[in-house]
Amino acid sequence: MTTAQTVYPRGKVAGMYPALDTRREEAYVDFVEDARNFLLHAQQRPIGDYSRRLLQEAGLPDSPDGATTRRSMELLMQEPTLKTFYRLKRSLQESFWNALLRSYGGRRETLLAALDAAEARGPGTLQYDPGYQPPDYTKVDIHLQPGGYSGEPLAGFLYDFGLKVFMGGAADKDFVAVNAARAAGVPADGQVHRILDLGCSAGATTTALKRQHPGAEVTGIDVSAAMLRYAHLRAIEQDVEVHFRQMPAESLRFADGHFDMVLAMLLFHEVPATVGRRIVEEAFRVLRPGGTFSVLDFSGDRERDLYSMFFAEMDAADNGEPYLPGYVHSNVEEVMREVGFEMQPYDPRAALTRGRIGIKPAN
Amino acid sequence: MSTSPAATPRAEPSVEGVRELPGFDRGRPVYFENEVIDHLLTIVLELGAEVWTLRDRQAFTEELLARRGIDLAAELETGRPSDALQAKLKSERAATIRRVYGSLYSKYGGNDVAQRAAILQND
Repeated sequence: MTTAQTVYPRGKVAGMYPALDTRREEAYVDFVEDARNFLLHAQQRPIGDYSRRLLQEAGLPDSPDGATTRRSMELLMQEPTLKTFYRLKRSLQESFWNALLRSYGGRRETLLAALDAAEARGPGTLQYDPGYQPPDYTKVDIHLQPGGYSGEPLAGFLYDFGLKVFMGGAADKDFVAVNAARAAGVPADGQVHRILDLGCSAGATTTALKRQHPGAEVTGIDVSAAMLRYAHLRAIEQDVEVHFRQMPAESLRFADGHFDMVLAMLLFHEVPATVGRRIVEEAFRVLRPGGTFSVLDFSGDRERDLYSMFFAEMDAADNGEPYLPGYVHSNVEEVMREVGFEMQPYDPRAALTRGRIGIKPAN
Repeated sequence: MSTSPAATPRAEPSVEGVRELPGFDRGRPVYFENEVIDHLLTIVLELGAEVWTLRDRQAFTEELLARRGIDLAAELETGRPSDALQAKLKSERAATIRRVYGSLYSKYGGNDVAQRAAILQND
């Protein structure tokens, strides 16, 4: 039996993800993924239209302050349809995490041994400090992932397969990460020697960036050792040379002007707004003049209507997203401009797919 | 690869109050006036998953048998599982019941069997 067969006895699925340990768990999670697609994803627009109509009929102003948002929550959560939607959302979220934990957790020692064995292997390198304590604000069960990103040694495995379920298959074959790497701004002079991926988690975007720019040295940073260890193993299995380092994006241990490109994929809505501003400042510092900072995340502006604030507040409380409401108010593109970036044209409707791209001026 | 400390040490950005934000702690939300409705919806989802899992397994079983040229349909109805299989099924049945109906006792952690046992002992 080969090493791969020992670690992944049932192979991989959707191009990337270690298959669950039994067909039984696989069928269970397939059901949850399809149930989410129908009961949640397909209902986003109709339930949004329905909710907006209810808010309009109640005469609530559409430019919400905190009190109006709270009133919208009281009003909408009286509705049996909304109650059902949020109940199902919560239950489906908990059920698939539990299934992943049952499945991967059943072979915990084997999977941890695979992470250990990968540490000294290449291509690429991994550095982390087993004694490192991530900042307190990161100690959240984001998306209800058990133990969050730092508190569970199998977090990388859970996150990776969780993303597959969460995205309803759209992340299969790293499609989302590949798109992010293509969307990332390239300096006008075309010189790309060093790239930094902030909050890289399982490293899918990091490896996609290396494939997009094979001549560049690509580094991914994250606060979570569990994520970085998995990202390194994942990169080795794909034979992609990238480097992983443990540090917070708001306090980078790189010299001024070190990078040509910096990217943050779905990071800003997972940090407090004060930390977000510091991350923008740090990206500015470590970029060379003419370097680009690409922020791919949800839109702020467009989501400021009352229903969107309601949705953000509900996601915060029920889906482990405490910083989402603050993010929706934070307008990252304005912060980037204030810190000194020259902003390329930005379309809020494509905030996640094409992103906000800032260029560090030459002077 | 070269790294170096940031030029000037700076104060950490303020993250005061984040622990009080909704969602920082996991919580146990209830959406309906009568929380039994919450549990019933969770149960309906779990039952759907169980039914689907069985249909998947049955279909896969039939394919595996067919690949070997074996038709066991009649014996599946008239035969009897071995003692070992019956013991295994009993254990799996208990786990299924716990997973499907456990939400009814989630309020005090009774959906977790170990916690439930501890609660009963304390009583």
